[in-house]
Amino acid sequence: MDSDPGPLPPGDGPSNPNANPRPDPEPKPQEYTEEGRLSSLTLEDSGNAAGARAAASNGSLSADFYSGDEIEEEEPAAASDSVDEVQRAAGEARASSSHGGVAWRGNLEEDGDAPPSPSSSGYAGERGSSGESGIEEDDASVSWRKRKKHFFVLSHSGKPIYSRYGDEHKLAGFSATLQAIISFVENSGDRIKFVRAGNHQVAFLVKGPIYLVCISCTEEPYGALRGQLELIYGQMLLILTKSVNRCFEKNPKFDMTTLLGGTDAVFSSLIHSFGWNPATFLHAYTCLPLAYATRLAAAAILQDVADSGVLFAILMCKHKVVSLVGAQKASLHPDDMLLLANFILSSESFRTSESFSPICLPRYNAMAFLYAYVHFLDEDTYLILLTTSSDAFYHLKDCRIRIEAVLVKSNVLCEAQRSMVDGGLCVEDLPVDSSIRSGSLSPHLGLDKTAVGSLSSRLGTGGPAGLWHFIYKSVYLDQYVSSEFSAPINNSNQQKRLYRAYQKLYASMHDKGTGPNKTQFRRDENYVLLCWITQDFELYAAFDPLADKV
Amino acid sequence: MTAINEGIQFCIFDLRRGQHEGQEIDKILFFSPSDCPFPTQLSVIGLCEGIITFTRIFSPEAPCEVIEAERHSHVFYEAESDIWMVMVVDKNKDAESIWRGDALRDILKEVHSLFTMFHGSLRALLEKQPSGELARSHLYSFITDYLTDFHVGKKIQMPSFRDCLSERKTIQMLTISREVAIEVQSLVTVIGSSCIGNTICNSMILFQDLLVSTTLSPDDTTNLFTYAVLRLTPHALTSNTNSWSYLRKGTSAPNVAANTAVSNAGSASEGYQHRSRDTSPGGQSQRFHIPRPLQRDKWSKRKDGFVVTDVWGAEVGTSIPLSPTLWLQQTEERAYLCVYQHRNLTIMLLIPVCLMINGEQGLSLVKKQLFENASQKIINVEEKLSRGWGGENAYHVSGYRYLLVDRDMGISRASPPGKVTTLTKDSLLALNKLREEVDLEKSRAKRDKPDSRKDFEVCIRARNNAWIIAKVTRGRELYMVLEKANETLLFASDAVEKFSNRYCDGAFSLD
Repeated sequence: MDSDPGPLPPGDGPSNPNANPRPDPEPKPQEYTEEGRLSSLTLEDSGNAAGARAAASNGSLSADFYSGDEIEEEEPAAASDSVDEVQRAAGEARASSSHGGVAWRGNLEEDGDAPPSPSSSGYAGERGSSGESGIEEDDASVSWRKRKKHFFVLSHSGKPIYSRYGDEHKLAGFSATLQAIISFVENSGDRIKFVRAGNHQVAFLVKGPIYLVCISCTEEPYGALRGQLELIYGQMLLILTKSVNRCFEKNPKFDMTTLLGGTDAVFSSLIHSFGWNPATFLHAYTCLPLAYATRLAAAAILQDVADSGVLFAILMCKHKVVSLVGAQKASLHPDDMLLLANFILSSESFRTSESFSPICLPRYNAMAFLYAYVHFLDEDTYLILLTTSSDAFYHLKDCRIRIEAVLVKSNVLCEAQRSMVDGGLCVEDLPVDSSIRSGSLSPHLGLDKTAVGSLSSRLGTGGPAGLWHFIYKSVYLDQYVSSEFSAPINNSNQQKRLYRAYQKLYASMHDKGTGPNKTQFRRDENYVLLCWITQDFELYAAFDPLADKV
Repeated sequence: MTAINEGIQFCIFDLRRGQHEGQEIDKILFFSPSDCPFPTQLSVIGLCEGIITFTRIFSPEAPCEVIEAERHSHVFYEAESDIWMVMVVDKNKDAESIWRGDALRDILKEVHSLFTMFHGSLRALLEKQPSGELARSHLYSFITDYLTDFHVGKKIQMPSFRDCLSERKTIQMLTISREVAIEVQSLVTVIGSSCIGNTICNSMILFQDLLVSTTLSPDDTTNLFTYAVLRLTPHALTSNTNSWSYLRKGTSAPNVAANTAVSNAGSASEGYQHRSRDTSPGGQSQRFHIPRPLQRDKWSKRKDGFVVTDVWGAEVGTSIPLSPTLWLQQTEERAYLCVYQHRNLTIMLLIPVCLMINGEQGLSLVKKQLFENASQKIINVEEKLSRGWGGENAYHVSGYRYLLVDRDMGISRASPPGKVTTLTKDSLLALNKLREEVDLEKSRAKRDKPDSRKDFEVCIRARNNAWIIAKVTRGRELYMVLEKANETLLFASDAVEKFSNRYCDGAFSLD
């Protein structure tokens, strides 16, 4: 692309809709074998297949679904616009992520290659890949069945939309089975949440005409898997908005893969982040550590542009926020930030040029597009300006030039780079002064001051008192800080295991029926985990499993 | 009938049967409520079978355990190869409808082991009579009788979160002094050797609902203990109450289903074609007699101290009731069950059927002999046990609400039911939730490393400020609720430490 491209007027959509052509064969239900038996069996039992599907649709679609043809002709302008817009946006997304082509390093233990620390995103090998790996696999392959964590998205008519592993088109039969299970339970007036068999858990999420399924043997609790499916759905909305439902109202057999073509990398990187990014289960964002004055300088200039009709101005460094400013009363949900950052970081084209593309923030308004002006100021740091106006490109470009000038002048970019290199908090740097500890943790948790001193002599295997890692979330600010990984937890598998242990702890503390609990101490052969929740904060900490309660 | 079984469905099906289209109904071996229309039964089983097939794609070794939906839970248990038991519980009835999956699965396991103890395996019954009617009619009367213990008013109510401080399929032991233990041992020797020649018979002795002694294998002990507490102990004989739940003590079981059930089965295949709304086999031919060991109020204590029943039918051509028999897993043989009761002491003697050549006549001789040889010892032991017995709150530990389980021995001990009821609903819900987490950890650890045992502990300060504690170590489990407790974690761990040192020989103590 040009170094200074013109705006991409929204109406024109993607410059090259065929950037990533995909095969689009019709699913062949007759190809499946044992799963076919299930679907035929279950549907048969319910009386008749067609009836089952119609009934399933009934709950989620508006009444005018049944007069689809009529609507197609007399569709109010607004609605058809939005369908068009969905398709256009999809093209945009496709264009955004159609570059690059470094293949994902695929292997069965692929769940293991998390980036070394949460402060580095580890996208190098991932960017722009189409599909995670095993594109040749399907549900008949042993390797496919042995994958640790599958994600599927399908339509209520059983058409595959996305599969983490394998070509979704080859998984049509499998997809039909999932659809049969979900709609069978729906027909009985119920909604399936999960199925468990041994170490495997199958989690289901129904979102109108879109069904999401995760099959995992990763030990994550249902609540965590469900949260991940919600995020995948949110990522889909970010690209398409909820008005994609109208496509299904018009045509229940609508094939959504065309709309999402080329966005595989976005979903891959989101799924990958479930294993390393605590924001995915904490529902909070993290900030880049910066000197107060530096951040103030960044905030001042962002505030300046926010006053000129920008809804949100966000300066980010990879997944960490440098500064965030919203227009009056507008607040940005941490999940939206996560999805937006993931979308931008996993789409190569944002890095090569300034972009202006429609995106939807599902928690802000799932029905409407906003327009995001995105520009990378350096390798890691990028500016996002969100507006409701589709013709604000030149204005936002001007804003960006102004902001960039101020940031350069006030050294913010350099500081941010330095902070990236320096990393975040280290447990080794924590003060071992017992008076400080007693001021924070001791009174409630009964930590014995005298023991802190003796344990802290074991530096090199973590911080004081055998502390290995911690996450602190401020409930009020929607922010968290997480320590860098150190000594005993130094490879990605160990890091992922710790995050999963945190997820379990999170789920246990926030149980819908009994939670939130106040404190929890949990010891197994890997860690001592401690969680402390108040109205103001949540603290998650991992210690040496041999650490004492005192 | 529908009202009675509202909220729970219970089914047993055999995946080796009914594989051809139109014959699906042949899969069903049992379905409760029995008046549930066939299409509904088939749709429940269809979903279960579909999910079993589906989960095998990813988990060929470990079978499907649960389907959790918003309004129902399906709990699975593969009782015998390809024979599945599934319980479907409805969550929406009231706020009490919160269960622990493993506790429900334990019910399925319990009913299956009891069934096997009396009738042998289902596969064997199906092989004996391939049309399945034998198995169906046995299951029908057995499970219907079993479920009467769960009747509350007109509904079947499964153990809920309120029962999280108790453990099914374990035995509860009476703690006795060394001196009494020696006397008990001598009694066991006398009754064991009092029957025939040199053969030593197995026996089991209960004081009230607690085990005093057993010579049976752990599995046989658990099964017979469960049965005794359900039907044989003084408490079971005198009361009409449900023995399993402390909450529902005092509510009388309506007994409706059991009384309406006909113990003889009809031709299932025919019956199924014609009766669309009733799976209860009955009203047809009287081809085989089916003993109904779980039928309520069928055991009674005779003046001579023997506890007898006529549910095993009568000797051919006479009115002399046949003695009950059961199948022992350890010896792989059938044995007569002789029950003798003196006040709070229940003695069960198991005489191998093969040794009783002259049947009932021989048995009454053995009984007579037993009475003559052992009656004084029995009186002595009963007296001593009664004297040392601390009453129903004997195992209460002030300030604690606890459950201790020893998996290797199959033993549990818990706070007395009356004390558990003083806990708030929040505490019980939190413990129930924690137990679910522990169940998952345990079963996962068992699958991943069958040889090593996972040790871990969790202490939660719940929303209501109670400490909810679970500690698993070397095959033993301790669950505890401490209400009105200090907020420091040290308090909680000290409490566990004290309890462990005092009551568990330090099994849960540090180091």
